[in-house]
Amino acid sequence: MYKDFKLGKEDINILKGINLDIEQGEMVALLGPSGSGKSTFLNVLGGLVPPTSGDIMIRDYRISEMTENELCLFRREHLGFIFQSYNLISTMTAMENVALALTFAGVKKEIRRERAIEALEVVGLVDRMGHKPSELSGGQQQRVSIARALVNHPEIILADEPTGNLDSKTSADIMEMIYRLNREENQTFVIVTHDPDTTKYCTKVIHMRDGLIESEVNQ
Amino acid sequence: MKFRTILTIIGVVIGTSSIIVMVSIGNGAQKSITDELSGIGSVTTLQVYQDLSSMGMTSMGGGKTDDKTILNDDAIKDLKKIDGVVAVTPVVNLNGGEIEVDREQYGVSLMGVDYAVLEDMRYVTTSGKKPGANDENSVILGKDVLTSITYTGASTQLTESEVNPEDLIGQNITMTIKRTNANGEEEMKTQKLKVTGVLEATGGNEDYSIIANYNLVTELNEWQTGRKANVKKQGYTQALVTVEDSSVVNAVTTEVEAMQFTVFSMQQILDSMGSVFQMLQILLGGIGGVALLVACIGIVNTMTMSIYERTKEIGIMKVIGASISDIRNMFIAESTMIGLIGGLVGIVISLVLSVLINLIAGFFIGGEGGVTISFITPGLVIFALVFSALVGLLSGVRPAIKAANLSSLDAIRSE
Ligand SMILES: Nc1ncnc2c1ncn2[C@@H]1O[C@H](COP(=O)(O)OP(=O)(O)O)[C@@H](O)[C@H]1O
Ligand SMILES: [Mg+2]
Repeated sequence: MYKDFKLGKEDINILKGINLDIEQGEMVALLGPSGSGKSTFLNVLGGLVPPTSGDIMIRDYRISEMTENELCLFRREHLGFIFQSYNLISTMTAMENVALALTFAGVKKEIRRERAIEALEVVGLVDRMGHKPSELSGGQQQRVSIARALVNHPEIILADEPTGNLDSKTSADIMEMIYRLNREENQTFVIVTHDPDTTKYCTKVIHMRDGLIESEVNQ
Repeated sequence: MKFRTILTIIGVVIGTSSIIVMVSIGNGAQKSITDELSGIGSVTTLQVYQDLSSMGMTSMGGGKTDDKTILNDDAIKDLKKIDGVVAVTPVVNLNGGEIEVDREQYGVSLMGVDYAVLEDMRYVTTSGKKPGANDENSVILGKDVLTSITYTGASTQLTESEVNPEDLIGQNITMTIKRTNANGEEEMKTQKLKVTGVLEATGGNEDYSIIANYNLVTELNEWQTGRKANVKKQGYTQALVTVEDSSVVNAVTTEVEAMQFTVFSMQQILDSMGSVFQMLQILLGGIGGVALLVACIGIVNTMTMSIYERTKEIGIMKVIGASISDIRNMFIAESTMIGLIGGLVGIVISLVLSVLINLIAGFFIGGEGGVTISFITPGLVIFALVFSALVGLLSGVRPAIKAANLSSLDAIRSE
């Protein structure tokens, strides 16, 4: 799979031929120096940007050929995202942020609330469900965003440096939790990370460099 | 709610309420005037006159249609034959009569109609009854017959008599008429009139007249002028045609005009006034429309700003599974709400304004029972509500589509 970005008139190749298989339930770590294309790869994988050429298949779905609207519907059912900067909606409470993902799926209000609370229970934040993001610590905000990614019970969760903004103690807690989810729910995780420590939880460690996979280690 | 949104809603409020108030003023003027005119039941009566322009022609040319244009008894018979006509009567007037009631003198005029068709005409007596076909000296009083009109300088003043015409029912009144004879001497004649009833307001000449038997009025006229009327050659000056109901007025009018008579009916006035008021409403509504157009631009602006501010939020929603239509509908719903809330508040404000306008107008114009300058119909309220919601909706469409088509990743990265 290839991805170019247009910079002025020039096309610059960012992903220069990525070839990768990931099995259901795997926990994949994506490492590599800054600018090597890890985020771009994750975004293409999640259908947030289209690849320039090549294919992405998730089960039987050909992501690379879906329309924008099909991708939205696909993400709603099958994908969860966790970002380094949490990306919570600042005007909504933790509970509302988590429940929002269900709104678009047409889930009834009481059930939305029920399931949002369930997801917040999983990340251990039920007692803070009425708080706005600005009233939560970084670690707590990230847990809300994880709860939001979980609430639809997607098969795949894509996380771009989920612990990048957190101190090492909180990072370890978050990674511990992700690992637990991976084991208990058999969800597939692809995690971009800087921190080689986090790779100890992973079944597959991929090193990227300059738009290519440098090494792929199964453990 | 954002201050900006409140300002935008105020814009819609101003737009809707100005449309409602403007149109309601047109409505009110129309209502008060048509109420006045059509309440009086004379919509089914046509006044027919000899065609003045063609009369000159006949006397000079003497063509074949001569006798057709003369409003004589033959013409009255022909008028009677028209479909939808219930009664036709010639009208003769006598002016310069004087009656004395309670030692007060009142100038009166008599309006002579054919008592044989009186029963079929739409005259309604408020009290008493109509005279029978052969009651030569019985009369009905117009409701304002005792109201004297005095001209003092430039202004006209109506003075109600202390005598209620209804008190005269069953009484005989004496009317005096005068003439100057060949020798230049003034002669007087008195005529006893028996009052049988008082006529409900018609809005026409009847209100200020005494309705009398056609034969009696002709007789008195002949005494006053000293010559016999030649009806066959000169015709009556006026005839009244009563039709079945208001729906046939226009058809009958056309037929009577085809007979080369001049027709005058309340319906014609109402029709022409209707179009004047429609113009007035379109004009006034247009002014409100411009205000709403400005509000429209306000909504577009607010929505665009709001989307600009919420780009990141939109991106997040798209990433977590909002479809293009979810986002679009969300913003369209928001702008429709702005329109709807603005419309609702606008309606409430207009209802208050309408009451105030009528109160203030009543204060200046006077008149009992209040004045209707501004009249808000339920239809106008519904129209305003639907229209303001529609304005909100349509204003929101473009910004909403713009929002829905934002790239989720670019949007999520924006701050
Ligand atoms: N939208 C974009 N337009 C142009 N260049 C981009 C865009 N997104 C990322 N890049 C470039 O692609 C390269 C890879 O970026 P990224 O995938 O974010 O790297 P990483 O996440 O590994 O740090 C960088 O050089 C970056 O400047
Ligand atoms: Mg990155």
